[in-house]
Amino acid sequence: MKPQHDTALAAALWAQEDKLKPCVHCGFCLPACPTYTRLGDENDSPRGRLYLMGAVVEGRLSPDSDAFQTHIDRCLGCRACEPVCPSGVEYGVLLEAARESIFRARKTPAMVGMLLAVFSSRRWTSWSMRLARVVRGLGMAGRAARLMPANRFFHPIRFGLAMLDASRERQFPVASPSGFAAPDGSADGSAGDGSSEAGLPDAGSSDDPSSDGAARWREGSRGRVAILRGCVQAGLFARVNDATERVLRANGYEVVEVSGQGCCGALHTHAGDAAEARELARANVQILGSAQVDFIAVNAAGCGAALKEYGHLLEADEEYKQTAADLAASTRDISELLTGDTLQAGDSLRVGAPLPARVTYDAACHLCHAQGLREEPRVLLEAIPELVVLPLQDEEECCGGAGIYGVTHAELGGQIGADKVSAVLATGAEIVATGNPGCMMQIGAGLLLEGSDVIACHPVELLDESYRRAGFYDGP
Amino acid sequence: MENILPEPLTKELGDRLRGVVGDSWVIVDADRLLAYESDGLTAYRRTPRAVVLPRTTDEVSRVLSILSQEGVPVVPRGAGTGLSGGALADGDAVVVGTARMTDMLALDPANRLARVQPGMINVDLTKAAEPFGLYYAPDPSSQSACTLGGNIAENSGGPHCLKYGVTSRYVTGLTVVTYDGKIVEMGGFGRESGGYDLLGVFVGSEGCFGIATEIEVRLLPKPEGVRTLLAIFDRLGDAGSAVTEIMAEGLLPAALEIIDGPTIRAVEASVFAAGFPTDAEAALVVEFDGIEAGLEADVERAVARCREAGAREVRTADSEEERLALWQGRKKAFGAMGQIASDLLVQDATVPRSQLTDVLERISEIGVRHDLTIANVFHAGDGNLHPNLLFDRSDPEEVARVERASTEIMAVCVEAGGTITGEHGVGLDKRRYMSLVHGPDELDAMRRIKAVFDPLGRMNPGKVLPDAPDSAGAAT
Repeated sequence: MKPQHDTALAAALWAQEDKLKPCVHCGFCLPACPTYTRLGDENDSPRGRLYLMGAVVEGRLSPDSDAFQTHIDRCLGCRACEPVCPSGVEYGVLLEAARESIFRARKTPAMVGMLLAVFSSRRWTSWSMRLARVVRGLGMAGRAARLMPANRFFHPIRFGLAMLDASRERQFPVASPSGFAAPDGSADGSAGDGSSEAGLPDAGSSDDPSSDGAARWREGSRGRVAILRGCVQAGLFARVNDATERVLRANGYEVVEVSGQGCCGALHTHAGDAAEARELARANVQILGSAQVDFIAVNAAGCGAALKEYGHLLEADEEYKQTAADLAASTRDISELLTGDTLQAGDSLRVGAPLPARVTYDAACHLCHAQGLREEPRVLLEAIPELVVLPLQDEEECCGGAGIYGVTHAELGGQIGADKVSAVLATGAEIVATGNPGCMMQIGAGLLLEGSDVIACHPVELLDESYRRAGFYDGP
Repeated sequence: MENILPEPLTKELGDRLRGVVGDSWVIVDADRLLAYESDGLTAYRRTPRAVVLPRTTDEVSRVLSILSQEGVPVVPRGAGTGLSGGALADGDAVVVGTARMTDMLALDPANRLARVQPGMINVDLTKAAEPFGLYYAPDPSSQSACTLGGNIAENSGGPHCLKYGVTSRYVTGLTVVTYDGKIVEMGGFGRESGGYDLLGVFVGSEGCFGIATEIEVRLLPKPEGVRTLLAIFDRLGDAGSAVTEIMAEGLLPAALEIIDGPTIRAVEASVFAAGFPTDAEAALVVEFDGIEAGLEADVERAVARCREAGAREVRTADSEEERLALWQGRKKAFGAMGQIASDLLVQDATVPRSQLTDVLERISEIGVRHDLTIANVFHAGDGNLHPNLLFDRSDPEEVARVERASTEIMAVCVEAGGTITGEHGVGLDKRRYMSLVHGPDELDAMRRIKAVFDPLGRMNPGKVLPDAPDSAGAAT
């Protein structure tokens, strides 16, 4: 019944057999799944995929089979099924094991293999990012993408160029240039709609750099932090890393530079290349683990989730498992570090100058589903005076970015992305903030191809701009 | 029971079906049919011959025309959350799923009516009606996932059916496709309701009469006030007595639900933990709704009855969040059983309320005798019991004990003047108990009614009714 080669291929799933058992097939995950709600095929639902995994474990289905590969491949990995699962099935872990089985069972598609190879090497990453920046710098990527025909053949290039263009820095459309005075004329400049609900202190007067308030935020008073620089983040979103550093310092953290960091390995884990992911993790554990910091700050949701799971990834590695678990335990998303335990602006998060603009927040899957961070990024945005945070329909639904899903599953990824873009446009916001570079590019590209001027950015960029206007960075 | 392996669809028949619904929506590959082996009751596995996923009434009609011309049996399926095996198809039958038929066809707040496609999720209807101050009353615990088509098939109940009644009370019109592909209109707004009540016959027919492709239902205005209280007991029987006393008092709560100790512990271990004390042996949730005036008086009387019955603690939900958390905990309880066991068989017997305490004791005794954990979570106000028998299917000896205990529980409930199903339907699982509650003449009448809709007996065959005494394989 159980062919030998299948057993070897399915080894990763076998090891997680106990994690499959809690699924009682209740079906509560079906409506949470972006692929099931669009396709209606239970093989494209979390429950169905778990059933396929179970069939592999039972020896009824081969990891070689088209059914297994197609439907596991088609999963976005958004993990929206986890928070709705009453039985607590650890779908993310099981998905990775399934993908590892597939990775062993077949030849990796050329494009995926190439990408993984690039991110495995720091030198290649650096060169490819440099090339990407040159192309982006020519300023024609967006226009070229818009001119290309939207057919299957051109799609990867067209969408790729649009994503690249979406990563460039743009000026925020802010109503009054640098005013501390609110447009409605209120003197203290405190609080637009959203922020007053967050229980803000009087923003304009209490916390300018010269007052006593600033003493509370003395650099280093809240601990030492190393920032995970990342690969794509460092290559295309250096400004987000810079903003992260400034904002952390302004909030009382000492930021330590740790050189020699590499890719976190999330891309590899999600593609099933667990061996390479472990290699990358070990390198990072070694480098970041010896940095003698209190926290590792991460501003890319996918990477943060990956770091937090290092303990699990390296659990079989006697030499590394403890340091990996320690590193995981000290990892925090930037929104978590800033809002602290109290989730109160003014208490653990410093309040800057007004930023009269309209923003909507898209919850990156690896923040809300994988890391359970729902309130933190919202608190961070609502703490910015006069920034109006507009509700986004289905804010916790995946944008279809999912690594390179938009390229590998052009049609379905495009459909999911288009739904997100429509939802963003329906809010009337000028800015969409999301805590992951992949989502910024996916949503940004979609907006660009729609001909929209709405900017996709990281929430911390808005906070940074508010701080800059408040003069927090005009130190002696 | 044996799983009859599917006999593949001929290429010609597959092509005709694909011609109607499109290539992606006809599933014939054996590996891809695995996901359709079970519904919410995993004790049974049956592999269908194929799965077809139409989008419109017209497509359903054309699909059924083709299948009936070829004499292929048909099994309708919604979200596959049912708990009686009703959506399972033997290898000669084709599943026709409604997963893609999720549209709202018309929402008419003035007349408090909605017309929807059968694949719409129960809670989505309430969400759509909410802006108009309306809601859809029947709220099965699986309402976040189950479809309205499935609710029609099972005549579903839910916690609030104690006061508001089950599905049949809300269905005002249906468009039905019968096995031969004929489209039949029943009821509907503005139609005379004279003549025999075909709607009444169709609702609860468990997919044996046809497929409802359009559903018109009545909506209710949201009640002005709601009060929810939670009573904690050290003995399950005491909670049962409290229910009897509250009803004897002449009160009419909107819901009266009991969650026993093992269930509390499963729920509290899940993401839906609602703060039920884990050392308690029963929690009773009592809800009153209606116009504000008078609610407090009802609550006071109910609290007094709970205390008299031996409640160690009675508290009221102070906020809407707390209230919703209690209900989440209650409604996700079935799925949460995966926290304590890999498999479960849930019974659905209804007994007279006055017998509750007695029957619960006897069920507990059956559990002890067969060395099984039985977790009870049920609609106490209706006397609708849901004993969950927990087991591990990889232990055949335990499976046998579950079978025996299950049969004994059924006998105890029938003996106490109860019936074999409250709301989950008979399906595959309970047809063997039908003769416990229905005489031969009654069963014969049911067979003749089915023959009116489905003279050839090919619509969801092998469900609900036991084989006729004169037919060949009588025993099942």
